Amino acid sequence: MHGMHRRDVLKLAGAAGVAATGPWWRVGRSQAQRAKKLVFWHLPNFTPLADQLQKEQVYEFAAKHAGLKESEVEYAVVAGEQANAKLAASIEAGNPPDVIRLYESNVQFYGAQGHLIDLTDQVNKMRREPKGIFESSMAAVLYKGRALGVPLAVNPWPVHARLDLLEQAKVEYPKTWDEFIEVSKKIQSPPRLFAFGMCLGLVEDTTDNVMNLLWCYGGKMVESDNKTVVMNSAANVAGVKTIEAMFKTHKIIPQGAISWDNSGNNKAYQSRQAAFVMNPSSIYAYLDSNDKDLQKKTGLFPVPAGPKGTVNQIDTWSYGAFKKNPYPDIAKGLIEYFMQPANYDRIIQSTGGRWVPVYKRLFDSPFWREKPEFKHFINMAETGVPVSYAGSPTAAAGEVLNTHVIPKMIQRVLVDNWEAAKALEECDKRINEIYARHNKA
Amino acid sequence: MALSAGQPDALREELLVRAPATARRPRHSATLRQEAWLAYGLLTPTLLVIVFLVAYPFASAIYLSLQDKMVGAPGRFVALDNYLDLLRDEVFLRTAWNSVLYTAVAIALKFALGLTMALVLDQERRVNNFFRTLLFVPWAVPVVIVALNWRWIFDDLSGLLNNFLITFHLTSDIISWLSDPRLAMGCVIAVVVWSGTPFYSMTFLAGLQAIPKELYEAAEIDGASVVQQFFFVTVPRLRTIFLTTVMLSTIWTATNLQFVLILTRGGPASRTEIFPHLAYTTALGARRLGMGAAVSLVFFPLLVVLIIVLTRRMLRQADE
Amino acid sequence: MPRTRSGSRRLLKWIGNVLLVLLLVWTLVPFYWMIVTSLKPDREIYGFEATLYPHQPTLAGYARVFTTTPFLKYVRNSAIIAGANTLASLLFGCLGAYALARLRFPGRALIARGLVVSYLVPPALLFIPLFAVLSVLRLIDTHQGLILTYFSFSVPFSTWLLMGYFHSVPLELEEAALVDGCGRLGTLFRIILPMSLPALAVVAFFAFTQSWNEFLYANVFVNSVEVRTITTGLTLFIVEDVFFWGPMMGAAFLSALPPLVVYLIFQRWVVKGLTLGAVKG
Repeated sequence: MHGMHRRDVLKLAGAAGVAATGPWWRVGRSQAQRAKKLVFWHLPNFTPLADQLQKEQVYEFAAKHAGLKESEVEYAVVAGEQANAKLAASIEAGNPPDVIRLYESNVQFYGAQGHLIDLTDQVNKMRREPKGIFESSMAAVLYKGRALGVPLAVNPWPVHARLDLLEQAKVEYPKTWDEFIEVSKKIQSPPRLFAFGMCLGLVEDTTDNVMNLLWCYGGKMVESDNKTVVMNSAANVAGVKTIEAMFKTHKIIPQGAISWDNSGNNKAYQSRQAAFVMNPSSIYAYLDSNDKDLQKKTGLFPVPAGPKGTVNQIDTWSYGAFKKNPYPDIAKGLIEYFMQPANYDRIIQSTGGRWVPVYKRLFDSPFWREKPEFKHFINMAETGVPVSYAGSPTAAAGEVLNTHVIPKMIQRVLVDNWEAAKALEECDKRINEIYARHNKA
Repeated sequence: MALSAGQPDALREELLVRAPATARRPRHSATLRQEAWLAYGLLTPTLLVIVFLVAYPFASAIYLSLQDKMVGAPGRFVALDNYLDLLRDEVFLRTAWNSVLYTAVAIALKFALGLTMALVLDQERRVNNFFRTLLFVPWAVPVVIVALNWRWIFDDLSGLLNNFLITFHLTSDIISWLSDPRLAMGCVIAVVVWSGTPFYSMTFLAGLQAIPKELYEAAEIDGASVVQQFFFVTVPRLRTIFLTTVMLSTIWTATNLQFVLILTRGGPASRTEIFPHLAYTTALGARRLGMGAAVSLVFFPLLVVLIIVLTRRMLRQADE
Repeated sequence: MPRTRSGSRRLLKWIGNVLLVLLLVWTLVPFYWMIVTSLKPDREIYGFEATLYPHQPTLAGYARVFTTTPFLKYVRNSAIIAGANTLASLLFGCLGAYALARLRFPGRALIARGLVVSYLVPPALLFIPLFAVLSVLRLIDTHQGLILTYFSFSVPFSTWLLMGYFHSVPLELEEAALVDGCGRLGTLFRIILPMSLPALAVVAFFAFTQSWNEFLYANVFVNSVEVRTITTGLTLFIVEDVFFWGPMMGAAFLSALPPLVVYLIFQRWVVKGLTLGAVKG
């Protein structure tokens, strides 16, 4: 060790440089000449039954419609947290899966780079179904007028609320954020029960929760031109100050929320330690199969209104198909097969409310119509906006989400005790840098 | 263990450069050439591994850090722009400070705790073997599991710590271990220390047991106190082991990603942001491979310098 | 310090025992939490109803591990990969270390130092280029691919460790064998290796535990259940954004057992190997 001088490191690096004959990402090309097969990456759907059904459909399609043997199907389960790393590595090596479920901005990120197959025909086919699809979901998949993904479902972000606690305190579900704070103070009993399980950790859900509240105060991240960043606005300052007051003054959000991961709010609600959480109905779906008692006490509501009314978030998962695949028709065929209303409905219903069907007609089934919890869902699905509002889920918006710029802003206020305006100014600068970089490229 | 490298000079340049002892016999150049071929033959697997699995990816990373490459898109050569952007960013300074603090404190604590463990286990006691195995247990647990388990212990609402404190009325408020900016780094370090200490105690114990008992007896006859015996008999004998253990542990600690990734993700408010995690989020979160490589590489010389300084100082002491 | 020797000894012993208890508590309490969490029904896991010990202990978590996940397959895969990697690291390490310790050739010092430097390169930096290497070799999603990538940390480390040991084996024995016409490789296998068994145990032990515990490469280079290792299999309990702590802690506990068993088997030699190195110091 003693003798390890810089020149040795350089020598070693030099030797390595000789070995590196070219950019390493080019070498993956040989992979394109592969045998006929279908590679599908499965991201778990929340219920074992739905996962099972989907697996069956993949093999069914391969055997009956693509003429593939079982050994020619590569079916891999990729857990949510690992998906991005694995996808990045596989694309870099020129070896991506043929079909995968992509989250929001991933479609536009990889689509803009030209990696994804144009699926406009498939989407148009879906639109021709009676009553059509929820067009709000198209924001995620449209790139320069073409659909580069097929929206799998619309995901509203309702407030999960404890009806029994509201009843006990003899109050209604709050209409506005001001009311929300008052109601919260009435029904909570910390440290056992906090009112609001708002995500404040360095994770995606925090951006969702924070932005949704800011929208109600008239704020937004970027204009619809996807260029003009407007984080540093009076409306956003007012919204951030409300969050600050909820956290510091009224203490209706647990301090631990600062280090929650995406599951933090789910866990808090599911273990009866939070009365309100803003989350997709994955929590409801969990209760449906694991805790009927709490499910009965749970209502799903639109987000309370701010000075500018109420805005609801949706997020969209889509199926995407990579061009690298030498057999694009098989990939397109699989996606069409998934989206055939009969096949599709079975999976959607087996998720117990986790996914809202993208086909409006399927929303008319008793499953959705007979439960009062889902009363607000159709409106939320129709009018919901993506987290990048007023912009669309572009690659730049994806980077803002993935690098937790907005969670870092809110932690500046809540942890570092910065003024809301100062934190928003810093945040605005970072987001501007990200948008500028993407728009240049 | 490299302790193995047992002899102090195994680590020294002199030894690495000194011709092997077999060269004492005069030999013909033909024999020498033959010997060289044999050596390269024997080293072939190792060299292949180093060249293709370490050096080549490493060179790629250096090349990558000079581009503005994103995942999935070809990069453009931007020379040192990534590095300059990084150095200008205030996140860089904070991360550098955190990384140094995290590594230094964790190493110091592991050292102190490991030495204590080794000294305790070196005492005569029945079933010492059994205790030794128990104290070794954390080393056998995969880091991912260690981190997940501790996150569950720190959990503000369902964790062992808060439950324990509240059940026994030691506190009325819940303590947000990983959310409190004053506690978060300490918690991360505690987990690193828990997980890494057995390595120290194991190597230190081996060193202690190798010290001849006569040395202590002689020191005692000379009237040396227990403390004096420790500093004048034990410590000098353990110097090499201290050096090697600390060096390896520094590498392992400083480059570890999983503890921070699972426990805090760099939060709250960047209080636990360290280079491996920053590199990971830049390369895979932001999908900026070029910048991510630059972050990793900026931290690499820091590590090399740290280790050179460390080993030099300790070797100098050993020579005195 | 106490005045009399025996008094001082007794005091030291007393301090030692107290410290031992404290160290045992510090080391074992996290295990306790892992094990009790795995034995609790969900209701006792979450919230302030969370109990300090299981009131209604259940093996349901373990049942779920074995019925809903291919846990044993993960164990098998980890064992294959860690085992093969250990054997190969031993072999490559011995050959390379012998050359570095005993033979004279140009570039020797550079290679010896390269071993240390290569150990410094963080895996987070290597995994994407390595993915490309494996793609070219068509080794993505195979046991062989993972074994190969684990060489990147285990082979330089083993070679470096063994190099130190071989230096400490007396040269005279080897020279005698050489004179007897044993040949270079013969001396390595007949003279040096038998004298280095404890060292080999140390190397085997580290290669095994490090492969068993590896996460990043296993996560990125493997997709199918047939190859997935235990560390990445565990994270499959994290289904999107809901955690299943009970079964996960059960699986975590079980997966920590094999390295412990390996340690118990190798313990005697490992400690001896470490001690030997120390004697030479």
